[in-house]
Amino acid sequence: MPIEIATLFAWMLLIVFLALIACMFEDLESDTGSQSNPNSQVQLAAQVGQINRFFNKAISGEAPAYAMYCTIAGVIAFVLLSKGAHPLLALPIGAVAGEVVHVIFSVTAHLGRTSAMKRFEQPIYLDVLYGHLIPIATHGFMAVLCIICIAYIQSNIGTLSGNPGLDHPFALPMLAFIWGITVGAIGSSTGDIHYGTEREFQDRPFGEGKRVVYHGKITRYADCGIRTQKDIVSFCAKYGGPCTGMTFGMIILFENWRTLVGMKVSGYLPELQATAGDMTAIIGIVVGLVIGIVLIAGNVVIVNWARKRYGPFVGE
Amino acid sequence: MEPILLIIVVCVVLGGVLASLGVHLLPVGGAPAAMGTATGVATGTVMLMLGAAMCGLFTASSVAAFSDNILLVSLSGAIGAWLMMGVTMLVANVVYVFGAGVVPVAGRVEVDPITRQLQTPYKTPQCDGHGVPNVCYISGMAGALLGGFGGAFMYFALLNYAHFEATAAGVIAMGIFVANAIIAAYNIGGTIEGFHDPKFKRLPKALITCFVISLFCGVFVVMAATLGGLI
Amino acid sequence: MTVTPAVVEEEEVEPTKGFQIPPDITQLGIISAVIAVITLIIPGLPAVVRGIGLIFALLWGMDSVRKTSKYGLGTGVPSIGVLAMGYGIVGALLGIAFVKFAEPMLGSFSTVASLAGVLLMGIAGWVSGVLSNHEKVIGMKIPGLERGMMELGLAGSLAMLLQFSIVAGSLNFDIVMEKAISNGLIAVMFVLSMMAMFHPYNACLGPDERRPRTMLCCVEISGLLCLVLGIALAAAATSAWGIADGVSMTIFGAIVWLVFFVKFVRMTMQEAYSTVGTGMIKTIE
Repeated sequence: MPIEIATLFAWMLLIVFLALIACMFEDLESDTGSQSNPNSQVQLAAQVGQINRFFNKAISGEAPAYAMYCTIAGVIAFVLLSKGAHPLLALPIGAVAGEVVHVIFSVTAHLGRTSAMKRFEQPIYLDVLYGHLIPIATHGFMAVLCIICIAYIQSNIGTLSGNPGLDHPFALPMLAFIWGITVGAIGSSTGDIHYGTEREFQDRPFGEGKRVVYHGKITRYADCGIRTQKDIVSFCAKYGGPCTGMTFGMIILFENWRTLVGMKVSGYLPELQATAGDMTAIIGIVVGLVIGIVLIAGNVVIVNWARKRYGPFVGE
Repeated sequence: MEPILLIIVVCVVLGGVLASLGVHLLPVGGAPAAMGTATGVATGTVMLMLGAAMCGLFTASSVAAFSDNILLVSLSGAIGAWLMMGVTMLVANVVYVFGAGVVPVAGRVEVDPITRQLQTPYKTPQCDGHGVPNVCYISGMAGALLGGFGGAFMYFALLNYAHFEATAAGVIAMGIFVANAIIAAYNIGGTIEGFHDPKFKRLPKALITCFVISLFCGVFVVMAATLGGLI
Repeated sequence: MTVTPAVVEEEEVEPTKGFQIPPDITQLGIISAVIAVITLIIPGLPAVVRGIGLIFALLWGMDSVRKTSKYGLGTGVPSIGVLAMGYGIVGALLGIAFVKFAEPMLGSFSTVASLAGVLLMGIAGWVSGVLSNHEKVIGMKIPGLERGMMELGLAGSLAMLLQFSIVAGSLNFDIVMEKAISNGLIAVMFVLSMMAMFHPYNACLGPDERRPRTMLCCVEISGLLCLVLGIALAAAATSAWGIADGVSMTIFGAIVWLVFFVKFVRMTMQEAYSTVGTGMIKTIE
């Protein structure tokens, strides 16, 4: 059966769109719950005497944590799909199951870390605990739902476009696991900077790295009252979140696009000719190399622009 | 002993050693980098390497479905990881420059080894650099290239020489890869700036340890495949 | 993640609100190893009994992670948990291959052969610990790292093998490949086991961390794992005990999770500095 190329491209573009949304919400969720690297400051704050009302969600880094939620969602969805449930029912139920586990881990992490800081006189504020569980769950639900939709589409893309031969060989839970780790690693690398350097130390001067003497003395008072994560995520949603979403979207776009270009140019589509397999791979590699070199050039441009425009450090 | 068994062990060992070499090349700043106190990407070593390698493994597994050439499949995995690191580090720089207002500079050297630009005048005092300068960027791309190559190499060997099924081969390759990456991360103590960092001189020790561990894992995998009747 | 400096381990001697004093680290390791091995070897056990063995295996792994990470690994606590399960995958794979190899000779007692895989992985873990601690090589200088990494190799492999035998019903290579690995269930086993090993210590990290409280968290996560495995088992309905096996495993997991989660939450709220509904903050100079 020939592949309908237009349908294949359409599904690929849908995956890119879902990837953009997934990573944006992943970063916002990690800001809502203060996970991963900037959380070390929240931990340190209590230890240097800055009692705070932050949610201290210390569930490892974002990569293994997201791997866990997405894999659990993937397994529940997979079990439901194998029993004949419609994907429209199975995928959201899987995402809800992943989020229930997420909330459980958040509760144990916050309570465990706060009770281990007894000597620093950090109390457990119950309204902080209860009030942040729903935002964490909703942001995480969007991210996990998009990821398992991506996994489902990828493991069925051949069937959806005409020929099951193009389906990805990995099983759905494994694909969810892979994308969970990737989305966590990306969100941790790009979005956390906006939270950690900018929002956590909002009352420090803009335009410098945060010195070691500032560490622990995070901004605890907000525009009006005492700051909690809810004040943070609205700020990061205007810059850090969309940037992170753009990262993952671009990665998925480049990955899928170069594979598809390779398949089309070498004649592998629409009949899935086996002889064109090697040429497909070669074209994909060459396109990827070119894109990578453009990225290196882009970085040189940005660094030089910053050096020229910002100039050497002024002040002491 | 059949030569194919030896080839599988060699492939696993090579994959593991490349993984640890890749980890040493990645610019990882850890938790301080998220606060603009250290140079590099603001995440943990193992997680970043695993993220890049998983991206590469995904591409390699889809290419392995229609290509039989080990070099092409491994290079596809390498390019997949290279693109992931490239885009991630570029957008991280965008957030540093426009979101936090810092100039990307390295903290461990006075002059950038590749572009010969001065670093210290642009650095915030009492910080160990911030952002992802050019030398760290290129180092990171090279590290992801090698790591992705190693992971895809192992995957191909397990898939086509040991005849494991695709998901099984992917999981086993990931397990061995992660063990090597973690041992290498212990060697660098969690953070490193790239090949210009003085910590890079500790590379041979990690290579030896990862060689031994990958050898154990390779032999175990070959034993499992033989006893399980796959070869 | 901030890793606090080395803390002198204190064993609390007075029991807290009815929770029994747990055995010390070596005793718990031996008890867990024995229970896990027994529930693994005997063929035809219901999934609930194997689930109890799984809980003990994960407790053993958690203790090992806790003991090793107290001295500061540099990379944070999660990495050593991931390492344990990375070893666990290879060790379990070797174990199931040995079982298939031994089946013609030992018949239904071939499950004993899986221990060979576990022991081999323990040796590999010990070697990696020696290389990591030795000054001429990586030189981490953590006391007991060799023993810790050996225990992680053993506990990881045992946990993975127990989960294979729960979901697939047997330890034969072909059956496990088809029912537990190729359909991707191994991913959830890997992830939740590694979480059960490192999350309790990571979540309770701090100067006032107390071992019994951390152990409650580990049992609670193992309960969640049993619940997920029970759902997968009930859907597949392959075991010799029929669908009742999967359903009973799900209920067992749910009860274990609920009891220990409530215990953990109560204990943390009692032992924190104070638990208030809401309040203002202060700064201590």
